[in-house]
Amino acid sequence: MASTEKQRAREMLDNLRFDKYPIPKERIKSIGDREVRRLDGVEKASGKANYTMDVQLPGMLHMRFLTSPHPHAAIKSMDTSKAEALPGVRAVLRYDDPEIQQEEDLGGHGVSPRLPIPLVAHFQGEECGVAIAADSEEIVDEALRLVEVQWEQRPFVLDPLEALASGAPIANPEDFPESNLEVYYEAGRGDVEEGFAESDVVLEFASRRDLHTYVSPERACGVWRWNGDYPEVWCKQQRPHIVKRAVASWFGGIPMNRIELHILYQGASFGGWSQFGWNLAGNYCSAVISRRTNRPVKWSFTRREDFYGGSMDYGAHQYKVGAKKDGTILAVKAESVYANPMWGGQGPVLHLEECTNIPHLYGKRSLAIVNKGPCTAVRCEQLPNTHTLTLVFDHVAGELGLDPIDVALKNDGVHGHDMAWASEEKMKMGFPQTDSLRECIKSGKKAVAWDKKWHKPGTKKLSNGRMHGLGFTWNHEWEDSAGSGEIAMRLERNDGTLRILGMRCDNGVNAETAYCQVAADEMGMKIEDVFYRPHVDTGFFTQTPDSSTNMSVNGFAVRHASRMLKERILKAACAPRAETQRGSYPAFFPDCTPEDLDIADSAIFVKMDPSRRLTLAEFVGPAGDEGPLCFYELYGHERTPFSEPMFSYSYHVQVGAYKGGIRPRFIRQAHFMEVEVDTGTGEISITKVANVNDVGKAINPMACEGQMYGGTYMGIGRALWEEVVHDPVTGVMLNGNLLDYKIATIDDCGPIDTILKESQLGFGPYGLAGIGEDVPTMIPALLGPAVYNAIGVWIDDYPITPQRVLKALGKI
Amino acid sequence: MKAFAHFNAASVEEAVSLLQRYDGKAQVIAGGTDLLGKMKDRILPGYPEALVNIKTIPGLDGIAEKDGLLKVGTLAILEDIAHHPVVREKYSALAQAARRTASPHLREMGTLGGNITQDIRCWYYRNPNNRFPCLRKGGGRCYALAGDNRYHSIFGGSVPEGCVAVHPSDTAPALIALGAKVLTSQRSMAIDEFFQVGVAKTTVLEGHEVVTGVEIPQPAPGSKSAFIKFAFRKSIDFPIVNCAALVQTQGGKVAQARICLNAVFPKPYRAVAAEEAIRGKKLNQANADKAGEAAVAEAEPLSHNAYMVTAAKALVSRALLACSG
Repeated sequence: MASTEKQRAREMLDNLRFDKYPIPKERIKSIGDREVRRLDGVEKASGKANYTMDVQLPGMLHMRFLTSPHPHAAIKSMDTSKAEALPGVRAVLRYDDPEIQQEEDLGGHGVSPRLPIPLVAHFQGEECGVAIAADSEEIVDEALRLVEVQWEQRPFVLDPLEALASGAPIANPEDFPESNLEVYYEAGRGDVEEGFAESDVVLEFASRRDLHTYVSPERACGVWRWNGDYPEVWCKQQRPHIVKRAVASWFGGIPMNRIELHILYQGASFGGWSQFGWNLAGNYCSAVISRRTNRPVKWSFTRREDFYGGSMDYGAHQYKVGAKKDGTILAVKAESVYANPMWGGQGPVLHLEECTNIPHLYGKRSLAIVNKGPCTAVRCEQLPNTHTLTLVFDHVAGELGLDPIDVALKNDGVHGHDMAWASEEKMKMGFPQTDSLRECIKSGKKAVAWDKKWHKPGTKKLSNGRMHGLGFTWNHEWEDSAGSGEIAMRLERNDGTLRILGMRCDNGVNAETAYCQVAADEMGMKIEDVFYRPHVDTGFFTQTPDSSTNMSVNGFAVRHASRMLKERILKAACAPRAETQRGSYPAFFPDCTPEDLDIADSAIFVKMDPSRRLTLAEFVGPAGDEGPLCFYELYGHERTPFSEPMFSYSYHVQVGAYKGGIRPRFIRQAHFMEVEVDTGTGEISITKVANVNDVGKAINPMACEGQMYGGTYMGIGRALWEEVVHDPVTGVMLNGNLLDYKIATIDDCGPIDTILKESQLGFGPYGLAGIGEDVPTMIPALLGPAVYNAIGVWIDDYPITPQRVLKALGKI
Repeated sequence: MKAFAHFNAASVEEAVSLLQRYDGKAQVIAGGTDLLGKMKDRILPGYPEALVNIKTIPGLDGIAEKDGLLKVGTLAILEDIAHHPVVREKYSALAQAARRTASPHLREMGTLGGNITQDIRCWYYRNPNNRFPCLRKGGGRCYALAGDNRYHSIFGGSVPEGCVAVHPSDTAPALIALGAKVLTSQRSMAIDEFFQVGVAKTTVLEGHEVVTGVEIPQPAPGSKSAFIKFAFRKSIDFPIVNCAALVQTQGGKVAQARICLNAVFPKPYRAVAAEEAIRGKKLNQANADKAGEAAVAEAEPLSHNAYMVTAAKALVSRALLACSG
């Protein structure tokens, strides 16, 4: 344990190497324990958990926006008089209202609108023109139907490649008047032309990913109430700190300390609208209406309006790959066009840069603007990279007739270096020498009986007449090397339980329980004595710059805070408590130093004589009726033990894991998928998925497995069916509902094997790495190799629909 | 959702009288799984002023075999039909179709009457707020023809309107294959005559006419029926294509076959050409495939749905083979 300020500071930021400050094995009780129940489990499973949509306040109004029926149109004139006259309508906030005229920092990414209510719609379904608040959602709905708008329809473009062709209509002349190409980025290393020249084979192929969305179980919403001049805001929002910063800048400025923010359960938000200005404009307009009406206001999107946000891997990709006959990949050139990304994003060769030894790489990503909803980092922004990695590796294996596993192992590397280099680095950095990919593959092969079942493409017909296929991919998807977070904790009076303090959004992954497990073991407390509910604005933002990183950042912060608090407790247990008029209160353990004491099972004890013990409840003392530290001597009772308030806080910054400008990734994951393809109908059945994730160290194994199950069904939906369809003639979305937009269910996945590896090769505490985004991003592209193995023909456009299968088979 | 009047009918006569009183402005509701969604999305230009609930009419939910007929009341829920031992044994196509309809929740709500009288599927027709005032709503054109028609008719538009939406029922083709009769408040008719395509119409029912049940003749000895559905998700989905068949074999050859596809045409599509192709033949893979080919010989796929033709062909063949042995 760090015992000086200097040591403590070092521990807090020292993450350039393997965890130097492990917890002694004998103290590990709840970390890794499968019996630990998730904190929010019963609450959520029983339907009792409160979400933002559940907030009901006295006198609350409901607010919604008008949406555009056209994909690109400006409002020429708007008559809201009939809506204003409808009984129950309390406020009509028009685009030409003076308070809506000014541009605001709404807090969204990229080209989100800066005007809270835009005058021009750039996609069908865009919120624009007017926001109406009324006594009920039904009245708002009727009122919006009474708004009469004269639209000036403009030409539109829906396809990203068409948008970049000459003569295409300008999709968003307000923000991008010159062209539909927002920007392009290039990345890579070496010289791909040189690589192609040295290659035995050079293959080229193209791939498309259609637009898919995220469909959070809860639609976008928020509640605003003014308490006097200061706001109280309930947000469905994964980045509370950014919301608060934006809110503080509105209306001429609101001091941060006077904003009360509540971030209730989000369920699974998948990134969702929280990154878009449209969503944040809901808060802004609610604030204006709330002030005018002196009522709380809840705004919301309808379920259908929720469908207009997309994932930022929508687009088209062109690949050129050069390789030696033995499967050594020498060069990859990937050029991608993405549609409507709200920020630059990643890829397409980032993961090849980080996780392979391929010497020559070139990636270009062009961002095209089209008249569809905004796309952002939902269901993980790494999709373009995972897509590229899988397709490149499996195409090379297919072309050369090799086992894709051999190709993976041949090219596995770290930032262009081979595994020998990685080995040396691991040694220098104190990591174990485990070869993560080999370990993952070993387990995965066994799970799917790879050696027995894998075959040459298109060669195995099953007795049911279907073609059998087996696919494999691998990677280290994301993320243990970025982010920052802060956290605090205190021992409660009366019972000595530990409460973790810090606002973060619950995005469903059960991180809160894992933090409690870390705190419990580090403190020596029973897991049931530790609690964390992150909904309240404590002033500590237990969060990262985005939401991708979790345990590897916040886990450190929790650990630091726990160790500091424990140190403080033991110090206080040896020190005199108080001198008062009525006498002195000596130390609990007057003959001991902090080093003589320890904590286990929520009790302080003397190491040399464990029978001398004091529970933490006895130690903290009561919150009495005459003051928080009251001791009842006044009434003739015995003196009650008490101590000073026990509180600690800490923070962690994980960017230190970048070494010489790179982040060496030693952790790997491997995924296997077994399919049956019906060549009569083009139907694909997924009969088994095996996920092998090296998570370094599993703090909460069931939470990790939950991510593997969830990621699988989510990835399978994207692989097979998910596609937001727009009518090519009118630009109107056709399938904005959960029936026609087909998200897979667990019934569509076959049995799912969840295999966790614990190599301790991560940069998080205890050598852990994250898992949350790792599976849903890898599964979609894995279907391609599995189907190729089944039918012997590549289908590189996703989703892989029956239409595409039958076309590949030459049947249509 | 907009407000509407709601009546609990105590008898078929009362339901009919309420429908007459509202003269086209009332709708019958049973399970409501199709109707309420349509109302909520305001897909139609009009909105019912009243709903007449027939779930309150006693005696309409029976499933029983009597006098050589299986009688299924209009209010029998799909889940009960799917699990009824007699239906499963003798009228397998219907049990299988009911079992494959929607999801467990919807099957617990949805009725047989509702399943055969449900409205068409077309994402233009069903786009909220009557965004596409198409032919079936009395409008000027079919938007799917020039648009995305991946789930639309492969046998052309219905005459004379030109609508290429599909009829999505799973139980309808099974009932057609089984040669059922539809009983209504005022008549009974062969189910082949029940479906009719028109503006705001999927059946021949008059505005105040209520389906009360179906009657299915006991299949002749040597008969077997089957239902096959091709849909995306296992747990819930309308069919991409489905197919039901009833085959009677005598002396190793097909004496009679009734085959019906659905989700391929604005109303259930009886594959008469396939029935003729298999009649008198042995029920084997080659002949079943030929029947499949015959079924789609006259298909006219649209720009996005050629795959449905291939699938329909395969399903006809498989449904026939499922009736063998």
